[in-house]
Amino acid sequence: MDKDELVEYFRTQVRQDPEVPSAVAAIRTLLEFLKRDQTGETILGLRENLTQTIRRLEEADSSVAVSSGGELFLRFISLTSLEHPDLSQCKKVMVERGELFLKKISLSRSKVAKLCHTFIKDGAKILTHSSSRVVLKVLESAAADKKRFTVYVTESQPDSAGRQMADKLQNLNIPVTVVLDAAVGYIMEKVDLVIVGAEGVVESGGIINKIGTYQLAVCSKAHNKPFYVVAESFKFVRLYPLNQQDVPERFKYKADTLKAVEDLAEEHPMIDYTPPSLITLLFTDLGVLTPSAVSDELIKLYL
Amino acid sequence: MPGADKETDLTERIEAFLADLKRGGSGTGPLRGSGEMARETTYLLRRITAQARWSSAGDLMEIIRNEGRRMTAAQPSETTVGNMVRRVLKIIREEYARSRGSSEETEQQESLHKLLTAGELSEETFREHFVHLKANVIEAINELLTELDGTTDNIAMQALEHIHSNEVIMTVGRSRTVEAFLKDAARKRKFHVIVAECAPFCQGHEMATGLSKVGIETTVIADAAIFAVMSRVNKVIIGTQTVLANGGLRAVNGTHSVALAARHHSTPLIICAPMFKLSPQVFTTCSLSLNDVNSCFPVLKILSKVNVHCPVFDYVPPELITLFISNIGGNAPSYIYRLMSELYHPEDHKL
Repeated sequence: MDKDELVEYFRTQVRQDPEVPSAVAAIRTLLEFLKRDQTGETILGLRENLTQTIRRLEEADSSVAVSSGGELFLRFISLTSLEHPDLSQCKKVMVERGELFLKKISLSRSKVAKLCHTFIKDGAKILTHSSSRVVLKVLESAAADKKRFTVYVTESQPDSAGRQMADKLQNLNIPVTVVLDAAVGYIMEKVDLVIVGAEGVVESGGIINKIGTYQLAVCSKAHNKPFYVVAESFKFVRLYPLNQQDVPERFKYKADTLKAVEDLAEEHPMIDYTPPSLITLLFTDLGVLTPSAVSDELIKLYL
Repeated sequence: MPGADKETDLTERIEAFLADLKRGGSGTGPLRGSGEMARETTYLLRRITAQARWSSAGDLMEIIRNEGRRMTAAQPSETTVGNMVRRVLKIIREEYARSRGSSEETEQQESLHKLLTAGELSEETFREHFVHLKANVIEAINELLTELDGTTDNIAMQALEHIHSNEVIMTVGRSRTVEAFLKDAARKRKFHVIVAECAPFCQGHEMATGLSKVGIETTVIADAAIFAVMSRVNKVIIGTQTVLANGGLRAVNGTHSVALAARHHSTPLIICAPMFKLSPQVFTTCSLSLNDVNSCFPVLKILSKVNVHCPVFDYVPPELITLFISNIGGNAPSYIYRLMSELYHPEDHKL
């Protein structure tokens, strides 16, 4: 299957279903590649092809989620190939398990929402950052549970994603206010809890999310407000940044910017890293985790 | 008929237990320690396993889950009851898996690894019948009971590692575990204990009497003096009612203030709590929801136009705690989630 066809397939997935997480779309594309691939004769060759495909996908969409989805798929291939050394049988098993995996993770957002909405009490004031579909799902379940709460959303420049979130929340009849990114410190004393999504959850238990999340976390720590993160488990990624500089450049900027611009120092990064010391709890489809439990999960998978 | 007799006997015992639970909460019955509560619950669960009618593990789990729900509803603040029910449920799952011959590790927790490698979306139904399951489960419950019996001693055995000569230890109110802990250290070390009396019931006084009988130099202070005295204290050792899933505590009222004072003076805060106090609940921000409210009679004799709140419990966040000493050793608060995953199955967290 041609690399450009793949990227087209990926883009169509995202276009057709805007609700689908980018990691899931990436994994679906890779599974499609697996089904159509006729050239591979050995498992090593298959892995090579897949690695190249993932790199191509990352060039199309440079978010952390695509990278973590790709790595998870590679890991999945390795684990399955260990059990079935014969290639054709291995491929059959892989395709079966891949479909099953996709079915399971399509349910993960609802699992997360079910866990988290009990933490939202009646009369709560929630602060969230930018636009996250998982947070939207959580707030939707809480509203469906007849809870009354108000939401403050940061505008989240440079793409004003917060305004889209506010529109979606208004459609759900949840009272929402958009605040400036600079007004986070001002509004923090009024809120009861902070809930954000994550583009990636790193090994230390910290998160990579839209720029401005770190600020939010520091402010909430200073005011002693709980800072909750909601993320599905396929977003766990094998990075261990110690500070903002450690986050790889290829995640910080959009794919087009990376290709077009020479000197990245002039560009504004799109994401930042929030260390685990600022996070109270992580809600994932594997349960409610403390940041220290995240590395446990990753170890169980990768080692 | 002997069968029917056994059943009525069983239901009678369960009803008696539930009535006891309800009474214990309203303050009129004898105040029981959590250790006794845990033991009574486990005895009752063993009796249910032995006498109730069930053919497969699934039935037994359903029965125990129902009884567990009724017990926790009777006295929500007594979390050890729910914890023991969950332990027994986990025992049943393990014995079932062992009887089936599959390795126990794989079935238990959700994990990324399991997501990737699992075969079909198999729902474990526990429907198979095994002849020896009953005997195995009862044996495992007996092991659990032996463990419960030994908890205070196991914790006390670790005392010498943590308490050194000429130290000043502070404790709050009365905890049987801490009392045994300090008494064990007193056999070989000489140290000084400051007990905060813990109004309005002043259980600290009993604690101080108990400690001084063994020859430990004890001082009783009022709750208001805790911060003032804290600068001279080397360690704070306290007990708790429940350990929460995030490593926080639900302890007697006033503990949070002690914890904050200890943090301010950088004094280590050590919690002596046996494993059966570990509960899968996670704290939620509204503190009133986790609280019983006590009768305020000792606090205020004049009750005309005044609203008096007398909460029983306090929440202490995990950041303020240095170490948990339990019957399986010392652990950091960030490790509590791991211990929890070994004790309970995630599906049992909500009974």
